[in-house]
Amino acid sequence: MAYEAQYYPGATSVAENRRKHMSGKVEKLREVSDDDLTLVLGHRAPGSDYPSTHPPLAEMGEPECSIREMVEPTPGAKAGDRVRYVQFVDSMYNAPSTPYFRTYAAAINFRGVDPGTLSGRQVVEARERDMEEVAKFQLETEMSCPALASLRGATVHGHSLRLPEDGIMFDMLDRCRLENGVVIMHKDQVGRAIDKKVDFGKPMSEEEAAKRTTIYRVDNVAFRDDAEVIEWVHTIFEKRTAYGFKPE
Amino acid sequence: MADDRKRMFQKDLEIKFTKEHGDNKMEGGEITDKKVTYYRLGVDQNPRKVEMRKAGQEMADKRGLVGYNPMMHCGGIPLGQRALTPSFISGTDMMVETDDLHYVNNAAMQQMWDDIRRTCIVGLDMAHETLEKRLGIEVTPETINHYLEVLNHALPGGAVVQEHMVETHPALVDDCYVKIFTGDDELADEIDSQFLVDINKQFPEEQAEALKAAIGKTTWQAAHIPTVVSRTTDGAQTSRWMAMQVGMSFIAAYNMCAGEAAVADLSYAAKHAGVISMGDMLPARRARGPNEPGGVSFGHMADIIQTSRVDAEDPAHVALEVVGGACMLYDQIWLGSYMSGGVGFTQYATAAYTNNILDDNMYYNVDYINDKYDGAANKGTDNKVKATMDVVKDIGTESTIYGLENYEKYPTALEDHFGGSQRATVLSAAAGCATSLATGNGNAGLSAWYLSMYLHKEAHGRLGFFGYDLQDQCGATNVFSFQSDEGLPVELRGPNYPNYAMNVGHQGGYTGIASAAHAGRGDAWAVNPLIKVCFADDMLPFDFTAPRKEFGRGALKEFEPAGERSLIIPAK
Repeated sequence: MAYEAQYYPGATSVAENRRKHMSGKVEKLREVSDDDLTLVLGHRAPGSDYPSTHPPLAEMGEPECSIREMVEPTPGAKAGDRVRYVQFVDSMYNAPSTPYFRTYAAAINFRGVDPGTLSGRQVVEARERDMEEVAKFQLETEMSCPALASLRGATVHGHSLRLPEDGIMFDMLDRCRLENGVVIMHKDQVGRAIDKKVDFGKPMSEEEAAKRTTIYRVDNVAFRDDAEVIEWVHTIFEKRTAYGFKPE
Repeated sequence: MADDRKRMFQKDLEIKFTKEHGDNKMEGGEITDKKVTYYRLGVDQNPRKVEMRKAGQEMADKRGLVGYNPMMHCGGIPLGQRALTPSFISGTDMMVETDDLHYVNNAAMQQMWDDIRRTCIVGLDMAHETLEKRLGIEVTPETINHYLEVLNHALPGGAVVQEHMVETHPALVDDCYVKIFTGDDELADEIDSQFLVDINKQFPEEQAEALKAAIGKTTWQAAHIPTVVSRTTDGAQTSRWMAMQVGMSFIAAYNMCAGEAAVADLSYAAKHAGVISMGDMLPARRARGPNEPGGVSFGHMADIIQTSRVDAEDPAHVALEVVGGACMLYDQIWLGSYMSGGVGFTQYATAAYTNNILDDNMYYNVDYINDKYDGAANKGTDNKVKATMDVVKDIGTESTIYGLENYEKYPTALEDHFGGSQRATVLSAAAGCATSLATGNGNAGLSAWYLSMYLHKEAHGRLGFFGYDLQDQCGATNVFSFQSDEGLPVELRGPNYPNYAMNVGHQGGYTGIASAAHAGRGDAWAVNPLIKVCFADDMLPFDFTAPRKEFGRGALKEFEPAGERSLIIPAK
């Protein structure tokens, strides 16, 4: 029988959404062009070459190495790209994703990524073109709502703040705005102005966000109601505790 | 349990978030609202920030070099894009500007650490044995009183033996003194009251009896060197300064020969054999001498805070005061300055002692425990529930989910604790302290701390900064391990415990957990009865019975610190 990955316990919609994020089998909801992505990431000018830190691997004459023979380099590594980052911030008011599930999604489904997980933000560092692949995937799919999730290299406390009246997660640096019913970014990740307004489309309705979210909230799917997840946490806790218990 | 209880943070958050402060225009709304208008008023909305900006401008004009300028923030977008709001000190009605809770801006916080760093405890018995058995000098209560009179002249920097000596000005070192304490009531009765930390007077009867039984007929000096000396040097200076003056005072008080060999024995006793520092020295990678905060164990810190002797019937309050004091010391001063730098660490620590959010979680837990476990959260030893994994899971889970749901039901509470590290600290401290209270077992409390971290991470899909993913994911594994370098009773762990050394936002919670186990049992002390008695002294500038209130007085500029230099600088 073929092995089927079991990503996460739980019987609720939140648990189901977590499994989806981890599996990578998420619904595509919008298109983001390569140039628009490059603009909001802010690492290089759209259409410019990828800056590199070393020649393409094929030109480098690599040493004989069994590991190198076994592991196919990612496209970014092959080309010698520098390492750059994408950083997401997800509102605690039912944003579709959360830092840990962005990390799991990246680590499970992409190669050559270095995810970092904090409370307000989640960063992925990778060779530039590999990072862009992760960023585009997460921006274009149900992992992101343009109103409740956004690219922010700094000042990420909007994740826990009350929503402004227009429902767009608070941003100290005012990178995102609601204009004519769609969310636009007019600054890059770290708040530098960009040449055009990048359109990320309509915000999810409150109902849709509540349906797609991966955060437990008492006003949507309460954590205490997902008994299977709590039981699983208890099991992990007991096993880790027992492992270190050495009475002798 | 029913969810209709009035939250202890409700009034604080209503005043903080639905009333105007300065010119922040935050009048109206409910603390349960999920949406709000952000006016982006910058620093102009806040009187303290305006004052600081003006001071920065004046300083730049005077010295010809720019300094504080809020427009340097985020490339010209100053603080205050959301409302700048004050905070309440938990357990008090004191509303303070949060800037005034940085220890640089708060004289009470500075003095708390000064009073710990400049303190050591020195045994008198070894010295007395040397005098009596080796030199045949009679030691009586009268000679002890005379010695203490000499030492209270010498310890601040007065000369006692040599001629033509420089001395320190008494008005600059007026916070320096020595007192003694003993478990021997007969001896205590013979000691001049000005020199005595009176255990019978300072502690409830039951605690006094336990302390006296532990201390027995031994006698100890509680020595506090001058604040200004300690600030100019470091914690390792405390025992050295004390030992020099103790040695000289023995020579003077007992008419000894200044050069006789017995003096070396007295010095050895004072410097090494009979001295107890508040903190151990640290290894090379975090090198500090004794009496620096990284060496102050959680048990010592739990004993330094004195709420247990003035409010013993409310062990939750005892733990909360310990959490507040220890968060300030370990997060704001130790990790926030000694080990790192800057201003961010204040934000971690203040979450644990402002706006009654942790207090609400703790007292909810007390009610939950008392309902379910037949009064186990009340002070006592016969009422405790056995420390089992089932109990840890039950209390740790209920506490954590209650706290998580508060953040979900009260968006202003979430906004107040806008960083996940703040939330993680508060939730885990509540779970850990409550489990300690119920079981009387600090390591059971520590276990609940780690369970709380796991639950929090799964519920919200996020936790704190990277460190929470490191220490708090592996911490459960060392809770009940007692092998060297892997585990210890929580009372004996400290900031330099291997897994805790850069554990921002944790160490105050761990101290509360250590304290709660003993406060819950009604113990007179957590780990060291001598330290508990040493700080039971109303003469200390910082009131260790109420650290949170003292921080509030510091923020409101009502606290009078020691070690001031106005006597020796130009008048302004």
